[in-house]
Amino acid sequence: MSNDRWNWRGAASSVTVTAALLAGWAVVTTLGWVSPVFLPSPQATAQALAEGLREGDLLALAWGTVERMVYGWVLASLIGMALGALIGSSPVLRAWLQPMLELVRPLPASALTPVFIALIGLSPAMVLLVIAFGAMWPVLLSTVHGFAAVEPRLSEVAEVLQLSRREFIVKIGLPNALPDALAGMRLSLTIALILAIVGEMLASQPGLGTAIVMAARSFRAAELFAGVALLGLIGFVSNALLGAVERRLLRWQR
Amino acid sequence: MTGPTPLRRWRGGVLPLLLLIAAEWCLHGVQSDALAPPTRVLASLWEGLRDGTLLGASAQTLLAAIGGLAIGGGLGLLMGLWLGLARHAAAAAALSIELLRPLPSMALAPIAMLVFGFGYRLELFVVAFTCFFPMLLLTQAAVRSVEPRLLEVAQVLSLNVGQRAAKIVLPAALPRVFVAFRLSVGIALVVAVTTEIATNPQGLGYALIAAQQALAPERMLALLVWVGLLGWGLSAGLLALERRWFRQGASV
Amino acid sequence: MKSSAATTRVQLVPAMHDGSAPAAKPTLPLIVFDKVALDFGARRVINALSFEMQRGEFVCVVGPSGCGKTTLLRLLTGLVKPSGGEVRRDGHPVAGPARDVAIVFQDYAKALLPWRTVAGNVSLALEAARTPKSERAARIAALLQKVGLAAHADKFPTQLSGGMQQRLQIARCLAQEPALLLMDEPFGALDAMTRQSLQDEMLQLVREAGTTVLFITHDLEEAIYLGDTVLALRANPGEASSLARSFEVGLTRPRNQLATREDPEFLRLRRLAFDYLQEHH
Repeated sequence: MSNDRWNWRGAASSVTVTAALLAGWAVVTTLGWVSPVFLPSPQATAQALAEGLREGDLLALAWGTVERMVYGWVLASLIGMALGALIGSSPVLRAWLQPMLELVRPLPASALTPVFIALIGLSPAMVLLVIAFGAMWPVLLSTVHGFAAVEPRLSEVAEVLQLSRREFIVKIGLPNALPDALAGMRLSLTIALILAIVGEMLASQPGLGTAIVMAARSFRAAELFAGVALLGLIGFVSNALLGAVERRLLRWQR
Repeated sequence: MTGPTPLRRWRGGVLPLLLLIAAEWCLHGVQSDALAPPTRVLASLWEGLRDGTLLGASAQTLLAAIGGLAIGGGLGLLMGLWLGLARHAAAAAALSIELLRPLPSMALAPIAMLVFGFGYRLELFVVAFTCFFPMLLLTQAAVRSVEPRLLEVAQVLSLNVGQRAAKIVLPAALPRVFVAFRLSVGIALVVAVTTEIATNPQGLGYALIAAQQALAPERMLALLVWVGLLGWGLSAGLLALERRWFRQGASV
Repeated sequence: MKSSAATTRVQLVPAMHDGSAPAAKPTLPLIVFDKVALDFGARRVINALSFEMQRGEFVCVVGPSGCGKTTLLRLLTGLVKPSGGEVRRDGHPVAGPARDVAIVFQDYAKALLPWRTVAGNVSLALEAARTPKSERAARIAALLQKVGLAAHADKFPTQLSGGMQQRLQIARCLAQEPALLLMDEPFGALDAMTRQSLQDEMLQLVREAGTTVLFITHDLEEAIYLGDTVLALRANPGEASSLARSFEVGLTRPRNQLATREDPEFLRLRRLAFDYLQEHH
């Protein structure tokens, strides 16, 4: 999100535009320009969403997806940060491993989706591993960078104060890498959600992904859109939450 | 950067090489459904290249990737330029973008399937959608990151909007826009492959899963390596271009 | 430098038990540079540098860029090893960093932890010295009081002005209770008024603690104002010694920004220094 100062005019115009888009959507469907089979009206979508949440098992399915995403993401973040700290703080390890990491870097992390689906298969137990492994790379790479890019002056200060290697990592390396690591974690969250959905779709596991696919197969457009909207909402909320945490942790950056 | 001895220059490659040798040694002669020794993978890769199937499928995938990138990325670029230059428009669009951005493109595949049915247009749509937002946001950021001092110079020289955009903003933002493009190419390729798994029988992604389901691990791994090589090659090529054109440019 | 007896220099060696006046007894120098040489690749940056520093002495080093002033500091911290000759501290060759050698960097913003508060930054030195937790708060408060940052203990470095950030760095260095304080053009990036007040504050702090100071500056007047001794280095020494001249500063302490700078001795040294500059540029 832009870091312009928050002002009422910007917020108001923003809401207006969104409302206008929604209105446009309603108009298009009411006028019948597009067949309701392809594009359900916003009202129908909202209704399908409400019904699915109240009576159907949309809530349970959505929760299943969220759970998978969160577990996978937490796992990915922990492993990514630990490995990143280890590799980033050791020039020796970096020299040996960096080229391999650089090879992986241009492939966006969900490049490895086909890799792991192919290698590990998609049994229910493995889906979590696939998510974690696929979502790990942004955190890993950005943590390595954060550790490697410690201000040289601070390294000298640490030498003069004779900090032990452990003290250096904890007191200087980690806080220094935190902004990068958090940015990586935000990317990882997005990837974890995508992988969770893809995993469900390909492995036929109960979740929001399968609900969407099933709605598509039976041509229930309103339910399909409702599912997608819910998915977008999950992504939006989780991103916003993480952004808020990030701002709190990094308030020293001003 | 590195010392003069050859070992130090190439030490990054030692570990992957060791892994490959270990894999070869462990899997040699072993019958497996999921793994194959690297030599057999290489053989399968070579065969695929020789009889043209690999190149044919690659052409399909690349066309879809580049096509989707052109559409989605192009639109994203234009909008990013506009929103970067026009603050008010950017503020107005902010909420809508934030709401639409988190939609995983994979989830839109079923919607697109309704509209386009199976086949090419579905893949193009999904790739286009996935590339749209990153290009939009990165281009916008690139335009916004133009040194404010340069904009002041433009003001002092009384340049009009068009001159300002052409002489100052675009050249200054170009390195970062190119980086955005480079990253989007990678994304486009990956999304194309992943979408093809379910939708395009002529693409690399479909062949990948078909090989897995036919329990032909060497073919599957060969395809995997090939996709990786394609992505890496594209990225490296673009990086080389970037270094040549924008010598002191930003690199991610 | 050390053998002259009749100076108006304040002796910071403690008085004898029997109350007799302190004699000009040769005390063991804290620091000895013994024909030190340093090469960067093929280039000899420092050549045949020899001098001594007594405990409690304030030594200023001046010289044109490239004369190796900053490298001198690093030789004392042990972060850099000499290519020839020896650097000795308390009689032993310097092997590596020691906790009671503190160094104040010129680019203060880069030497502070931006994610810790003012108090947190000072605490780093205490943590490194394994000071018991119960003592830390009191020591931090006392140090911040000394440098005048007590009211800003919970602020982050980015919220402080340049002068305050440099004070914070000084506070952290003082927390090490250093026997030797190394300062690398610490006031170079500050405005003139802040510089003057920090000069006086720092003089008082080191006088109270009896700290030995090596102060690098490109400002000749600052060097004369602050120091007991001024070492002038030359760049590209070739075969000669890097040490071009050394002046003894016979001005009384405590120094005063107005009075001292109008003192005839100050003006004489200033002229000497000016002439030296003319020769070497």
